Amino acid sequence: MLDILSVRLVVEIFINGVLFGAMYGVAAVGLSLIFGTMRIIFIAQGTIIVLAAYVVYWLFNTFGLDPYLSLVVVAPLAFATGATTYRFLFRKAAAMADKNTSLLIAVGLMFLVQNVISFVWTPNPKSIITSYTAVGFEVFGSRISVTRSISLVIALAATAAVVLFLRRTLVGKAVRAASENMQAAMLMGIDPHRVNAIAFAIGFALAGAAGVALATTYPFDPYYGFSFALKALIALALGGIGNVVGALLGGILLGLIESFSSFFISAGWADAIAYAVFLLVLMFRPEGLFATSFKKA
Amino acid sequence: MNHLLEIKDLSVAYGDVQALWDVSAHVDEGTVVSVVGANGAGKSTLMRAISGLLEPLSGDILFRGETLVGVPAQEITARGISHVPEGRGLFTQLTVQENLELGAYLAHVRPHFAASLDHVFTLFPKLKERRGQKAGSLSGGEQQMLAIGRALIARPKLLILDEPSLGLSPLVVRQMFELIARLHDEGVTLLLVEQNIRQALKAADRAYVLQTGHVAMQGEAAALLENPQVQKTYMGALD
Amino acid sequence: MTREKRIIGLSAIIVAALALLPFVPGAADSYLFFLLYLFFLYTIIGQAWNLVAGYTGQISLGQHAFFGLGAYTAALVWSRGLFGAEHVYYFDPLTLIASGLVAAAFALVIGFPLLSKLRGDYFALGTLGFGEIVRVAFVKGGSYTGGPFGIVLPSSLYESLRPHYWLGLGLAAGLTLLIFWIRRSSLGLALVAIRDDEMAASSNGVNVLKYKLVAFALGAFFTGMAGCLQAYYLFHVSPEGFLNLNWTLYPILIAVIGGSGTVLGPVIGALAVTVVFSYANIFFPELHPIFSGLAIILVMLFMPNGIMRLRFRGRA
Repeated sequence: MLDILSVRLVVEIFINGVLFGAMYGVAAVGLSLIFGTMRIIFIAQGTIIVLAAYVVYWLFNTFGLDPYLSLVVVAPLAFATGATTYRFLFRKAAAMADKNTSLLIAVGLMFLVQNVISFVWTPNPKSIITSYTAVGFEVFGSRISVTRSISLVIALAATAAVVLFLRRTLVGKAVRAASENMQAAMLMGIDPHRVNAIAFAIGFALAGAAGVALATTYPFDPYYGFSFALKALIALALGGIGNVVGALLGGILLGLIESFSSFFISAGWADAIAYAVFLLVLMFRPEGLFATSFKKA
Repeated sequence: MNHLLEIKDLSVAYGDVQALWDVSAHVDEGTVVSVVGANGAGKSTLMRAISGLLEPLSGDILFRGETLVGVPAQEITARGISHVPEGRGLFTQLTVQENLELGAYLAHVRPHFAASLDHVFTLFPKLKERRGQKAGSLSGGEQQMLAIGRALIARPKLLILDEPSLGLSPLVVRQMFELIARLHDEGVTLLLVEQNIRQALKAADRAYVLQTGHVAMQGEAAALLENPQVQKTYMGALD
Repeated sequence: MTREKRIIGLSAIIVAALALLPFVPGAADSYLFFLLYLFFLYTIIGQAWNLVAGYTGQISLGQHAFFGLGAYTAALVWSRGLFGAEHVYYFDPLTLIASGLVAAAFALVIGFPLLSKLRGDYFALGTLGFGEIVRVAFVKGGSYTGGPFGIVLPSSLYESLRPHYWLGLGLAAGLTLLIFWIRRSSLGLALVAIRDDEMAASSNGVNVLKYKLVAFALGAFFTGMAGCLQAYYLFHVSPEGFLNLNWTLYPILIAVIGGSGTVLGPVIGALAVTVVFSYANIFFPELHPIFSGLAIILVMLFMPNGIMRLRFRGRA
């Protein structure tokens, strides 16, 4: 029989898992979009999130800009950066049949950005402390922080925006079409570079949103991005590549796995367990856990 | 007279394997031209080169007097060539309606979308019933109709159909050729690839017979239909 | 094939000259000597990665695990005296081979499921996941692995860099020679066939999985020995120093800059990387990691086939 205290504890672990997992989910949605049109795993995604977190940190410390307000600056900036990154780094490689070139450029970009961050802001962890960071409210007797709740809202809103874009706009439909069959999309007059650039731009904008969520809730350092990207990949694998809502759910599931295993086993092993789950899913259910009608072309 | 489409000494390779050697052909406005031949003769390769999915090794492709060589596929579509590829190229995860909307992706086509859609729905009433369904859930014949309908939405100056009868039941194949006749009557210029040679020759004005990457025979479709060599090689067993 | 013969002859002369260099008085104390040691180490790990990626097209992102496994094997065997108290562990051939074998054994165990089921990106991600699991396992290994701090070895044994230099040269030259030979063997032909068209290779009776596994395990074997060699140099085996992702990024950088899928590509890449790193280290030490990231991007953008340019396709 569980007493009140442990019920409260389990609720708390659960809620924290969901909140943190939602951030993985947003990163995974970005990866999913880029993978959809480009067929590459954009391994630098986590590092872009961390970069966004540093920009939020910088805006907060230099101009006193509220971190949530900075989303208005960071998301469009990230969107433009994404399109530019595609134009100058990936456009040429995207046309090659050998996807390894793109993958390696992403590896180089990750390496470059994390070390630039480390050079500019030192390798020491940073965090943002606002007047409301410590504020929380109670649900079922468990304390939930306001900032983490806002992060969850940002994650859900960003995913919803992407889903709406993909379902309701012609360009969004073109992105979906290109993800399924790029050559057929070209025969519709769709420019592959345009949809690739859009996927990158949205992927980066999502990284911007995730960066705001990260900066307000957890400490971050320049090298954190890589493990974040790995987590996003795991979320993607859990959710099924190419499935936007699945990616968010995969992220939340991963957050739960981590938060429960770090409580019941140990914090250090939580990562290894997450990777083990990842390997198992890759091998035994590559279409993801949430795929209902998966059709392989 | 200038041809709508003119192919001059075209050679194309698929990876390391050359598939076409010095192919020359032309299509005039308002006509139906069939390209026939056995499996692997290079018919689809020729179509993919025309629509920009493959880069030729040498030779030229002129469309309304301008070269298409080196022009990206999406730009060729914008110039007025719609290609329904082998395997149809539908977006199976998107709905019928969404597939048709993407047929009008190009900016100059979009204003005519509503009218074109009406036209497509009169041609294929089934598609109107199924507009909310995923394209992947349609039957083979319906998928082919959707693919052709989607190509027609763009109001192409040249419509390329690659093996439209492939994998369809005899009844649906007949409907398909009725449709081709109807499009011909409407003045649509058609380049038709077929393994079903008798039907393809009956439907066409002109025809080319491809054999292992070369043009083996060409001329009026009616004449080729009577040609004893064509009959012997391609239709012998069937009669 | 006179050009090839000339290259072989020239390489033999260079290797012989390098082998004799430590006898030059004072040479072993110079900074250049250390750089040459690094060059050999980089050549080994670059060639080992290239064996899998360059010849079979499968990108391994778990090389740091093999490097670390080799180093930890050496450290554990030594610190626990597993070969007996009287045994000499410093530059011990038995330990060296054990380091390689442990890494290769892990490569077989992890490679079998990964290579039989995963392709392309998925294989890369699978190996990355494997590498991280190994890293976490050593960090959380408690007293057995020394946890985050690692294992310290008796550094009083260090006399000079000469043995490291010779062993590094021997392994680098040996591996390069081995790959040169493999390329002309049926194994090499099978590997290239797999890279170019796996389906065709498989339908022509090439046992794709077997060849990929052999290449993967052989790469791990040499990477593990390189880890052992580096352990003899640092005398401190830690997750930070040996299970660092840099040990996966460096070989990629090396092979890609030199030209992946070529025999001499990783050698040239290792030389370029050693020079760039050491100069960057001297002139702008904080910026040096930035350079390596930039170098990968620039190379991939402007010469995706590397310095060697041409890929060997089948028999030259």
